[in-house]
Amino acid sequence: MVKRERGFSMMEIVVVLAIFGIFIWIIVVLTADMRTWEKKMPVNFMTHPEVSAVVSRLRRDVQDACCGYYPASENEWVQGPSTLIVETLLENNTLEYAVWDFSKAGEVTRIAFVGNPGKERSRWTAHGTPTFKILSFDVEKGPVAVRVQAIDQKGKLAIDQIFQPRPH
Amino acid sequence: MSLHITDYNRQMARQRGFSLIEVLIALLVLAIVITTTMAMFVERQKRMQAASETILAYQAIANEIELRRRIPYGSLEGSGTNFLSPTEILGPLTPYAATVAVGPPENYVRPVTITVRWRGGQRVERITITRVDTGGGSLW
Repeated sequence: MVKRERGFSMMEIVVVLAIFGIFIWIIVVLTADMRTWEKKMPVNFMTHPEVSAVVSRLRRDVQDACCGYYPASENEWVQGPSTLIVETLLENNTLEYAVWDFSKAGEVTRIAFVGNPGKERSRWTAHGTPTFKILSFDVEKGPVAVRVQAIDQKGKLAIDQIFQPRPH
Repeated sequence: MSLHITDYNRQMARQRGFSLIEVLIALLVLAIVITTTMAMFVERQKRMQAASETILAYQAIANEIELRRRIPYGSLEGSGTNFLSPTEILGPLTPYAATVAVGPPENYVRPVTITVRWRGGQRVERITITRVDTGGGSLW
């Protein structure tokens, strides 16, 4: 009768470890390029529908800006790195003041005012957005452009767009 | 003697487990499945990477277009081949080359081509805008 021993022999364990090692080495080699790239690249915010909606709408507002272009304040909002106020002309020839509020983390709100004093006409909020920063960008022969930046959690610049008012 | 052999055969028939051939075939099938899955995963990552790089390049190109549209038509020739807009957004694509080429005028129209190249020239994104001489002075 054959004596039945429990367990594995040393050779069996060595062979299994070698096979696992080869498998893990293949995975590491295949994903090496991916891991290097992940460290280098910022988060791709533009594929997020809310973020691309914010950028598109902001572009339209700045391009439609006219007259005073960027008022210093509107109601309780003051022009600054987390607030953009743009004066635009509506189709019925009235002025609209669009206030873009970037002060709340993860949220962007656009509030539109008409008239003097400004009466709120509409309000739109986008959620799940990065923190935007507004800068001015000087352009030769024309009104100041708006530079919109967003930085991801790794501190990398993910969005950097310049918008200019169009001539009317 | 024959009793011993019959006993042995019965013992063999009742043994639990898999034969070597079965194990080898199972390992082969598993290897094919894993290899295919890994290949799909790697390809997906490469395409996502390419898409992210393209988005960065197009952001820089869009910024340059905004500025190039403002240059008076008569000054296009001397506007230079380097980007006038900031190119910090192209940092992850380093080394890259961002250039602008102003084409020759044809019936008061000049093409302006904005190009970004990276990965040693393997990836290229470009947009050509058309500037028209409307005969006016400053836009503003």
